[in-house]
Amino acid sequence: MAKLTLKNLYKRYDNSGKKHKTVNNFAVNDLNLDCRDGEFVALLGPSGCGKTTTLRMIAGLEDITKGEIFIGDRLVNNLHPKDRHIGLAFEDYAMYPPLTVYENIAFNLRAKKVDKAEIDRRVREIAKLLRCEELLNMMPVKLSGGQKQRVNIARAIVRRPELLLMDEPLSHLDGKMRQAMRVEIKRLHNEIECTSVYVTHDQLEAMSLADRIAIMDLGVLQQFGTPMEVYDDPVNEFVAAFIGEPPMNILKTKVIKHEGEFFFTFEESNLRILVPRRYYNKVSDGMLVKMGVRPMDLYIGGADSKGTPERVAMFENLGDERRIGVRVGDNLMMLITEDETRYRQGDVIRLEVNGEKTHLFDIETGDRIRSGQ
Amino acid sequence: MTAQKRLYSILKNAGLAIYAIFALFPLLWMVLLTFKSDAEMLTTTFVFHPTLVNYEEVLLKTDYFRYIKDSIIVAGGAVIISVLAGVPAAYALARYNFKKKEDIAFQILSFKFAPEILVVLPLYMIYDKLGLYDTYFGLIWVYQLISMPLIIWVVRGYFEDISVEIEHAAQVDGYSWWQIFFKILVPLIRPGLVASALLCFIFAWNSFTFPLLLAGIKIEPITVAATKYLAQNTVHYGQMAVAATFSALPSIIFAICIQKHLVRGLSFGAVKG
Amino acid sequence: MAKIELIGVTKRFGKTTALNNVTLEVHDKEFFVLFGPAGAGKTTLLNNIAGIQIPEEGMVKIGGQIVNQVDPAERNVAMVFENYALYPHMTVYDNIASPLRSPRYKKDEGYIKDAVQRVAALMKIEMLLERLPSQLSNGQRQRVALGRALVREPNVFLMDEPLAHLDAKLRNHMRSELKEMQAAFATTSIYVTHDFMEAMSLGDRIAIINNGEIVQLGTGDEIYYMPCNEFVAQLMGDPEINLLSCRLVKGDGGYSVVWDEAPEHRMFMPANNALFDRFEKLSRADIHMGIRPQNAHYHFEPVEGAIRGTVYAFETIGNKSVLTAQIGDTHLRMIAPNGLPVNLDQDVYVTFDIDRAIFFDAGSTEYIGRFDEAAIRELAAAQAKEA
Repeated sequence: MAKLTLKNLYKRYDNSGKKHKTVNNFAVNDLNLDCRDGEFVALLGPSGCGKTTTLRMIAGLEDITKGEIFIGDRLVNNLHPKDRHIGLAFEDYAMYPPLTVYENIAFNLRAKKVDKAEIDRRVREIAKLLRCEELLNMMPVKLSGGQKQRVNIARAIVRRPELLLMDEPLSHLDGKMRQAMRVEIKRLHNEIECTSVYVTHDQLEAMSLADRIAIMDLGVLQQFGTPMEVYDDPVNEFVAAFIGEPPMNILKTKVIKHEGEFFFTFEESNLRILVPRRYYNKVSDGMLVKMGVRPMDLYIGGADSKGTPERVAMFENLGDERRIGVRVGDNLMMLITEDETRYRQGDVIRLEVNGEKTHLFDIETGDRIRSGQ
Repeated sequence: MTAQKRLYSILKNAGLAIYAIFALFPLLWMVLLTFKSDAEMLTTTFVFHPTLVNYEEVLLKTDYFRYIKDSIIVAGGAVIISVLAGVPAAYALARYNFKKKEDIAFQILSFKFAPEILVVLPLYMIYDKLGLYDTYFGLIWVYQLISMPLIIWVVRGYFEDISVEIEHAAQVDGYSWWQIFFKILVPLIRPGLVASALLCFIFAWNSFTFPLLLAGIKIEPITVAATKYLAQNTVHYGQMAVAATFSALPSIIFAICIQKHLVRGLSFGAVKG
Repeated sequence: MAKIELIGVTKRFGKTTALNNVTLEVHDKEFFVLFGPAGAGKTTLLNNIAGIQIPEEGMVKIGGQIVNQVDPAERNVAMVFENYALYPHMTVYDNIASPLRSPRYKKDEGYIKDAVQRVAALMKIEMLLERLPSQLSNGQRQRVALGRALVREPNVFLMDEPLAHLDAKLRNHMRSELKEMQAAFATTSIYVTHDFMEAMSLGDRIAIINNGEIVQLGTGDEIYYMPCNEFVAQLMGDPEINLLSCRLVKGDGGYSVVWDEAPEHRMFMPANNALFDRFEKLSRADIHMGIRPQNAHYHFEPVEGAIRGTVYAFETIGNKSVLTAQIGDTHLRMIAPNGLPVNLDQDVYVTFDIDRAIFFDAGSTEYIGRFDEAAIRELAAAQAKEA
């Protein structure tokens, strides 16, 4: 068990620019990350954001262009992967097909010449932990996707690594199995408390599993924080749009002043939404800005609402919740409510926003404009 | 690091160059021979007195163009028949399930397994009895044994790559089966069809054993005719080289034209997406 | 006028029966959803309506006419395929124009141009018309496939899981867009899906299909609130409904239930004669109580009548989270807000909205009833009237 520190980490490929959009061919660009002992950290981002490259550098499978990686207090830059005390569980379950599950799990211990009784004890202990005891005598080809992944993780943690690295281990599984494995991984981590780095492009997976999430884009770390921090307090438009399902409504808006009050107005729409008070010292008449609000933080106003009447463009009843869409120019602004009222297309409603949960983003840079001081 | 990479790249290219010389040298030598007189034929230096006498002998004083015509008729005929019969066969093998389907498919491919010399003797007897010996039809018939399996196997792969829903979609869109076949399917298999057909043409063109034993009096394809320059007591290497060079021309021209198709067309999965 | 009727349709593939005596009527201009798990026979049903497959038994009628012997090209149906089935060698424009160029639906090029522009605008793909399918993203291909089906005026519009291959975000977005466009279809539509949200959101009526048979037919609300058996209840709802093995106890002029995992807790039922009458007729005392995750509530302090358990999992499903409690051997799913501060294996106390519970026969797994059934029937009747 150890903490993990990445210091000014860079990775440059000679021709990576051709494959993915990157800044100056840097797949990873000046990455700093501190994972605490026992923490579960998710590296999250769209494909090509540098998350897997980062993981591979930590594992020692990829050269480091510049920067330092510490596992515990050891600088591991020049250590061979096998000397880094890490466990790896990757997307494609690379098991040794001619060996039983038992032998697969024991393989690394045998390579290290661990004593036989000790191997047996440890394999059985891990198998119990991962609930795959009944699989031990089976051959890998007979296993289902979920079982393979279980064995894969068992193999990674049987050598008691200081650091467990996982690269999209669930991406091959279908919906239900994936959800079940997600719970198991979380519970396993709770039990063994091994520092873990988990690469994924699925924000729900990251939100459910991680103590903290590092969100990357174009090789650059965007935000590193707890799931609730990145969800409620995104640093920029990218993070705001990436986290959350259904996604945050992010709309270009022009702020206008009317009778002492500020309103958000939108192109090709007569929708007006009252600007929350806390932004009054940040906005000005005629200011262009992007407004972001999650569908759960929009409300249907009562008769005294100052919002403009808008037609319901779309109403969905999803059983336990209802979604309402309002056309704002080219965008469909979504609202989610548990209210039981059924609307029809064309009904008129007034929209209001939860002032506390509304975010403003700079129209050029996408950076967050914070309220108050 | 970079110095190492550069060295590696130099070594790699040198290796490739050596192989290219090894592979191309016989061709180059053949072309050189065509310009040599019989007297200089066996010298191994590159210095000689170029002459066009061999070309004159072959192209003007023999029936050379008749041989070419024969080659075109039999090779072309074989390819046309193979395409006409092979494409529907490939479609059936790709789309329909019937008993012994894989056995039949394998059977077709197995025509290519037997050495030509093995089948040519019984064929000679049969052809002689049926009156097919030394006829265009006889040669076309035996050539399609070479070309049909290739076309069926390549085109079948193409049909299998086209999802059956595309045909369903076209049905629902209001097209009949024949229209679907020509408007949708043929354009999609075209790369594979063109590549395999041209390859077949080259194979048939280069075939030697079959025409040597099953024809050769009235019908003389170019490969067989080239042997004529091995006279009873002298060997006119120069003239043979001319005949060989000319007979290789179509293959080379085709190969250059279809290079892109060949690589793309023979690697399956080109129509996905 | 194009209502669709299936009468006793049976379709077999060798020894497997894909459709077993299916009888179904889809009203004119209705948006009808076929919902079921993978391999239930949904696509086969659609193919039989399109004429791509022909049933061994039974009749398919479109607009009152028997079409068993009619070629797909002559049935005037439009279909969207799960894998989009775009013609790879044609541009988007030519793909969309294709039905209007076929001999059956032939139109002149001027008309075609207008029609393609119209659907391209509807689908927001105007700028993609010159591209080939291979140059499009999955979401764009899906729009082109829809456009190709919408370009002419078919009797019937068939859609086979058109959103299945999109990622979650795009799928939700496209579903909402489709819902918004629905009014523009104004054509009898049959939509096949295995996604609960699509079924619930899009269907005027939903048919639940399993093992080649129609299990239940009704509006989304009817099926969601009154599933005919446990299979349907589990299918309709995400996260899945909790089914609790309980025992009915009669006394004090009413009923109460006792959950097997918490025998010391007796949950009293509000009076409801209609429901109690049905309980009377049951031959056994064990019963399954279905509690939707939003009708189970967690507390972190002991509460009157709450059942104690431990937190087994807590994970977000997007705009909300699911807290799973372990009580005995049962995992109980509850809806919770995102970001709830909770530790695995900590104590949790659970209460149920028993007045929102759905009761099932423990033996046959069939629906028995629920407390607010009358109100739901009223809602369903109102919806039916509106349609």
